[in-house]
Amino acid sequence: METLKNLAHNYYYLVAVVLFVIGMHTMLTHSNLIKKVIAMNIMDTSVFLLFVAIGYIRGGQAPIMRDIGDGFYINPLPGALILTGIVVGVSVTAYALSLVVKIYRYYGTVDADEIVEIRSREQ
Amino acid sequence: MTLQHHFPALIIVIFLICAFIMPLLFRWRSTLCAPALLLVHLLALAMAVALLVRLYAGGPFYYHLGNWAPPWGIELKIDFLRVYMVLILVGLGLWIFVYALKDLAHELKREVTGWYYALYALLIGSMSGMALTNDMFNLFVFMEICGIASCAIISIKESRECLEASFKYLILSAMGTGCYLMAIAMIYMVTGQLNFQLIREALPAAAGLYPNNLLVATALIIVAFGTKAALFPLHVWLPDAHASAPSPSSAVLSGLVIKIYAFSLFNILFFVFPASFRQAVPINEIVLWLATLGILFGSIFAMVQEDLKKMLAYSSIAQIGYVFMGIGLNQPTALLGGFYHILNHALMKGMLFMVAGVIIQATGRRRVKDLNGIGHVLPLVMIAFTVGGFSMIGIPGTGGLISKWYLAEGALLANRLFFVIVIVLSSLLNAVYYLPIIINAFLNPYEGREPVKPVSRLMVGAITAGMIAVIFFGVYPKPVIVFLKAALAAVIGM
Repeated sequence: METLKNLAHNYYYLVAVVLFVIGMHTMLTHSNLIKKVIAMNIMDTSVFLLFVAIGYIRGGQAPIMRDIGDGFYINPLPGALILTGIVVGVSVTAYALSLVVKIYRYYGTVDADEIVEIRSREQ
Repeated sequence: MTLQHHFPALIIVIFLICAFIMPLLFRWRSTLCAPALLLVHLLALAMAVALLVRLYAGGPFYYHLGNWAPPWGIELKIDFLRVYMVLILVGLGLWIFVYALKDLAHELKREVTGWYYALYALLIGSMSGMALTNDMFNLFVFMEICGIASCAIISIKESRECLEASFKYLILSAMGTGCYLMAIAMIYMVTGQLNFQLIREALPAAAGLYPNNLLVATALIIVAFGTKAALFPLHVWLPDAHASAPSPSSAVLSGLVIKIYAFSLFNILFFVFPASFRQAVPINEIVLWLATLGILFGSIFAMVQEDLKKMLAYSSIAQIGYVFMGIGLNQPTALLGGFYHILNHALMKGMLFMVAGVIIQATGRRRVKDLNGIGHVLPLVMIAFTVGGFSMIGIPGTGGLISKWYLAEGALLANRLFFVIVIVLSSLLNAVYYLPIIINAFLNPYEGREPVKPVSRLMVGAITAGMIAVIFFGVYPKPVIVFLKAALAAVIGM
């Protein structure tokens, strides 16, 4: 019961981990190269979600300097970190997709299994 | 604030600026590119030496980027081990770049040379950043830069093998950095800090409250750096990536890139996790056993390879195992051996990949069994290969022996006789695949009618310099050993 309560309280934690595992599993096992890239993004996004979620406090104010009386600010640092993380993720995705385009030009397919088949036929 | 005060940041920044302007400079005056990058390397080397002088005068110090002190700002830490890494990175980066100057003309289209220089500067700069940073998230950013740059200097060749290998590398490296980012999230959640030192101070309290978070973070960190540094079961990307890349890329990837991830793992294990935490969770044991498997299986896989560069790549998996073994044994002498091996292996594997590049360029051969009698047509280069091979095996007079010696001594001092046997056995395994090449190269006649193409003197010069360095560090290791001993005494004595 205690575990369930904890889970219900920290549901974002669970969601992030589930997304992380989905992304990682697809990335490592799926043969379609585009899907690998998408899975990579899902995996990155799950971490971003978790990071932003842990910085948030229910009822907290946006971290802008002004008089907020008895209220409190939420932590701005995770947001700032994740902005950097998103930029990094975008550049990796762009590079990965450009590689997929080049591979497609050589083989006419984006499926890793078919590429292996084509290569074995050539030898 | 004098300029000298900013040297730690400048080492990284000049490489990044150089990477940024290199493609533009290439369009404008393509002949200026190579001298500019050489100059940047020399400047960085001079700055690293200046840091070393300052270290000797006043001990370890910190540099705050933008003058923001932690916990708000990013902090760089300068101590002996980190400067040792920077000196290796920049010094050997310069050496491999000198070789690349002539080699690239044969492997790449002329238009992309400027891009290659940019990626090279990015790679060396980001690795120097990883060596110096004292901040978890900053380390992540440099890891991603390093990851993209190291994939890109493989795929820049644009052959089918290179594209596939670098895609595989990119996906696994993205998995590694994803895991690392998750680990940062887990640690940040419970400590609220990103600075190594501040996390270290906050961890004991957090470990009592949220032990599961920290266990998961530890596992993720080992997976992340294990993937990046090709620790045994996570090495699958390495052989293709290192074998298909242009030779200078192979040299820098095998020689420097995997080492810097091993060094970062060491930094996190020893400077972020308190010693009590390392005793409670058997991190060192896990690393140690994976390293042992890597040492044995890397060599066994290398034996059955037909392609010379692939064999060298598998041998790298075995050799990075020694570095991890030093970390895993958690004993000053073994660590000393591991750190000395970082230098030695960077030198000898860089040199061996250069030799492979020269052989491919001169004769077009890259299969191991086609190398019969190659010593008669490329004598100096094959003598260098012999020295490199001997150093891998650990024959006296070469650097390889010294690092293995200290590793074995460390294992004995830690009462782990088994690992001494592993080291001896792996030397034997190394001999099984290096010696036949050397023997066949010199004792069999050279077959083949096609003439051997002339090779640039600069490339042979770089290889000779490497050979001399391997012998030098094998015959006269004392200065480096004394330096590392003093540096490690500070770490272990913490």
